[in-house]
Formats: sequence, structure tokens, C-alpha cells
Amino acid sequence: MTKEAVYVALNQLFSDIFDEEITLFPETTAKDIEGWDSLEHINVIHSVERRFGMKFKMGEISTMKCVGEMVDLILARATKE
Amino acid sequence: MLFADLFFLYLFLPVCTVLYFISKNAGYRNAVLLLFSLLFYAWGDLKSLPLLLAAAALNFFLARRIAGKNPAAAKAALVCGIILDIGLLVVFKYAAFLTENFNALTGLSLSAPRIALPLGVSFYTFRLISYLLDVRWEKTPAERSFSRFLLFVSLFPCTVAGPVVRYADVSEELRIRQITVEDLYAGVSRIAVGLGKKVILADLLSGITAEIFGGDVASLSVLGCWYGAAVYALQMYFDFSGYSDMAIGIARIFGFRFPENFNYPFVCKTIAEFWQRWHITLGAFFRDYLLYVPIFGSPRKYLGLFLVWFSTGLWHGASWNFVIWGLYFGLFILLENLIGKKRIKKIPLPVRHLYTKLVITVGFGIFYFTEPARLGAFLAGLFGGNGNPFFGGETLLHSLSGNLFLLAAAILFSLPVVPWIKKKLEETPAGLVLSGLLTTVSNAALLVVSTVLMITAESHPFLYANF
Repeated sequence: MTKEAVYVALNQLFSDIFDEEITLFPETTAKDIEGWDSLEHINVIHSVERRFGMKFKMGEISTMKCVGEMVDLILARATKE
Repeated sequence: MLFADLFFLYLFLPVCTVLYFISKNAGYRNAVLLLFSLLFYAWGDLKSLPLLLAAAALNFFLARRIAGKNPAAAKAALVCGIILDIGLLVVFKYAAFLTENFNALTGLSLSAPRIALPLGVSFYTFRLISYLLDVRWEKTPAERSFSRFLLFVSLFPCTVAGPVVRYADVSEELRIRQITVEDLYAGVSRIAVGLGKKVILADLLSGITAEIFGGDVASLSVLGCWYGAAVYALQMYFDFSGYSDMAIGIARIFGFRFPENFNYPFVCKTIAEFWQRWHITLGAFFRDYLLYVPIFGSPRKYLGLFLVWFSTGLWHGASWNFVIWGLYFGLFILLENLIGKKRIKKIPLPVRHLYTKLVITVGFGIFYFTEPARLGAFLAGLFGGNGNPFFGGETLLHSLSGNLFLLAAAILFSLPVVPWIKKKLEETPAGLVLSGLLTTVSNAALLVVSTVLMITAESHPFLYANF
């Protein structure tokens, strides 16, 4: 799976969760998206895990700083296209 | 010995500062701080000092294992460390509470152990847990020097009642600290502000709370209940944010930049926002180390939320009212989450302010009443359930008229009025000079007035030192 494909999939997933058109960049953080707070982060993680057939570790969920880090983890672990 | 104490402010802190600055070498400076930190702790609770030292030593050793090359040993060390730290809290803070509840459930009558709460145990165990997890998650390397680690654990500005300073916040500063004149000025100013909040506002407000809530709660009028709880909310704010200001200011003198703990919580427009502004370091702890616990393999939103707020409540004390208090706030955060931020934003601003202030006021009432019967009477009283009139007549009127200036000042300083005025003033060069001058004069005045009050009034301990 390419990085571009992950971003395309994530844009769709985030747009569904936050109910608006969202375009993600590697440097996008929770502050840039209205509604992406610590609680909603759980929904984000859950959806990403299901979509790509992978699991994040608790430490990764807590320390993830931006979308770029999330994409790197997905690329390293994804089992679903 | 606490921060708002004459002996601390006019002897302990100056002697520590002088010895610190005449020591040229960074190692000696750390030694001075460590010595005074252990002295400070021993002064407050000598018999719990071995516990603090043992906890520091064990966590230091386990963290080295966590950072080691053997994955199985690292995992085992992490599990051991967390069990140890939580175990410390359970044994020393909750043993009696657990026994009483166990007895109530089973009908047995096991004798509840009477263990005095070791000073600062709630805070330092959390700081140790965060250290172990940060090392595990490679957010920070494990500390190599035990004396530096012990300094982190015992550091007197934050050991007794926070902020919940993490190792990663200060790991650089434990090695090298640059202290400028500006740091000293900012530190002393912050101490003066914190002292003023505590000694002038919080302690005087505590007189009103005692007057209103001290007697028969069931006889209070509806407005009396709301008034008492609102005053208590203000008292707690000035007490704890004052303490935090002092902690941050003292740390700054020695070159440590502690994270902020309060950010004008009463300006919040949602309850979630209130908790991003109140006791910030505790909220951040629960968010980072508990909210994403993988229950049944994955973090679960509502279970995580429940865990966080149940724990936040219980952390504040071994009593059910604190658990109810935590879950009460969790419930409103859940509701806000279900409604969604976008829809909440469409609600008129005054309505959002009114909603949050009412929820917070009731919350602090729940926090105040540790006895179930009195808590019940208070909750009923809020809504006229005790059959009392809406307006309480003489007592309330007397309290309001007698404390008009105090209450006005408390409301004014609980809102970001001073920063707003400063910002406006500092827009011009002349205003900048004036602002600096006014700040210095008012801080000096705060120090003098607080000192006079400390000499004349009886001492009031910081409330958060009991948690």
C-alpha cells in the first residue's frame, strides 16, 4: 500500500467521523480539526484499526503527535489494502 | 510546613536560595536542592520519608530494567512497577475505605486499618507511574543517576500537592539550568500572586463557606445552598491555583519550568473545557495514561471515559462523594460528546455560560459534603426539596452584605481581567513601563498584606495537600 493510498483512505474516514470534508497532511494535528479531542481520538483509532486491519499500542495512541506519525505506523503494520 | 507559611517563606526558602546560588557547580546546586527537598518532606511527614525513598529507589531500578535490552524483563518490570505504585496508593490511601465497604457488603466486621496518609503520596505515585510508562513508550530515556532521579521525585516545589510534573518535563533541567534575573523576578512575582490568592482570597472565602455550610444544611434556603457551593468553588480555585502558582514560582527561581496547572477555568463554555483549564496536569495524566487503556483488546470510548472519571473522583479522596463527584462531571462530558461540538456551538453563549457555571457549582457542593446525609440534604436543598423558602432571609443577606468587596474581588480575579488590562496597557511603550511598575508594586503589596495576614490569622492548610 502506498502512502498516497493511505491518505486517500484516511481523508474519507476522517470526513465520515467529523461529518465534513477533511484533507489530511502529515503535519495535521488534533488542534487543526474541530471535534478531534482526546475522547474522539478513541473513535479515530478504532476506525483506523478496522479499516487497515491493524492495532496501535497504547503508548502510540497516547504519544502520537500528528497524522504523519499515524500514517507511518499504518504503513508498517497494515494488513488490509 | 507548607508554602503559605512564615517559616517557609522567610527562612527555609531564602536560606535554600542563598546556598543554591553560592554553589557554583551544577552538581552542588542539585545537592542543595535535594537536601532541602528531603528536609522539606521530613518536616512535613518524617515517618513517611522512608516510603518516599523506597518508592524512588524501586522505580529507579525498575525503569532501568524497562529500558533494558531484554523484552520479557522490561515488560515484567513495567507490570511490577505499576502494581507497586498503585499498590502504594491502595494500601496507604484506600485501605480503610475498602475495608469499610467490604464490611458493608459482606456483613463482616473486619477492623479497618488506621494508616495516616503519607504526605504527597497521591502526587508522587502518579509522577512515578508516568515516568515508568514514558520510559516504556520511549518518550524519555531512563535516568542513569539515582541522585538526579531522587531530586525529581522529591523536588519540594511539586512533591506535596503537584503540579503532576513528569520526568520528561524536567529531565533536561535536572542536568543543566540557566537562571536569569528575569527568572528570579518572574518566580518571586508568581509566589506573591499565589500567596495572595491563598492567604487573602481563599482563606477569607473559607470563612463564608464555614458559616453557610458549617451548620444544619437541611435548614438552608434554596439560594443559600447555591451561594455556599459557589463560594466554595471560588475558595477551591484560589486555594489550589494559588498553591500551583507558588509551586511554579518557586521552581522558576531554581531554573525549573513547571507545566501550568490552571487557566482561568470559570471562563469555560463546556464542562470538557472546564477540565482543560482546571488541574490541567491531573487531567493530562488521566488522558495520557488511562483513557486509552486497551479494554478487551482496544480502547473503548465510554468505558475509558467511565474509568477516567471514576478514578479522578476516587483520587481526590477515599469517600463515595468524591466518586459521585467524578462521575457527575464524566456524565456531562459524555452528554456534551453525544451532542457534538458543532451543535453545542450553536447554543447562545450566555446559555452555555449559565449551564457550565450551574453544573460546576453543584459539583463543588458534592465535593464539599463527605457525609452522605449532609450531601443528600444539600442536593435536596438546591431544588427546594427541604421545604425551605427560596431566599434565606437574614443569614444570606448578612453574609452577602458583609462580604461584598471580598466576593467582588474573588469573582474579578477568577476571570482573566488582569491579563486583559495588562495586554491593553502594554500596547504603547509608556503603558509597558506603567504595566511593569504596577505589577511590581501590586506584587509587593500582595506580599506585605499576605504576610500581615499570616502573622495575625490562624493558619489554614492548603486543601489539596489532603488528597
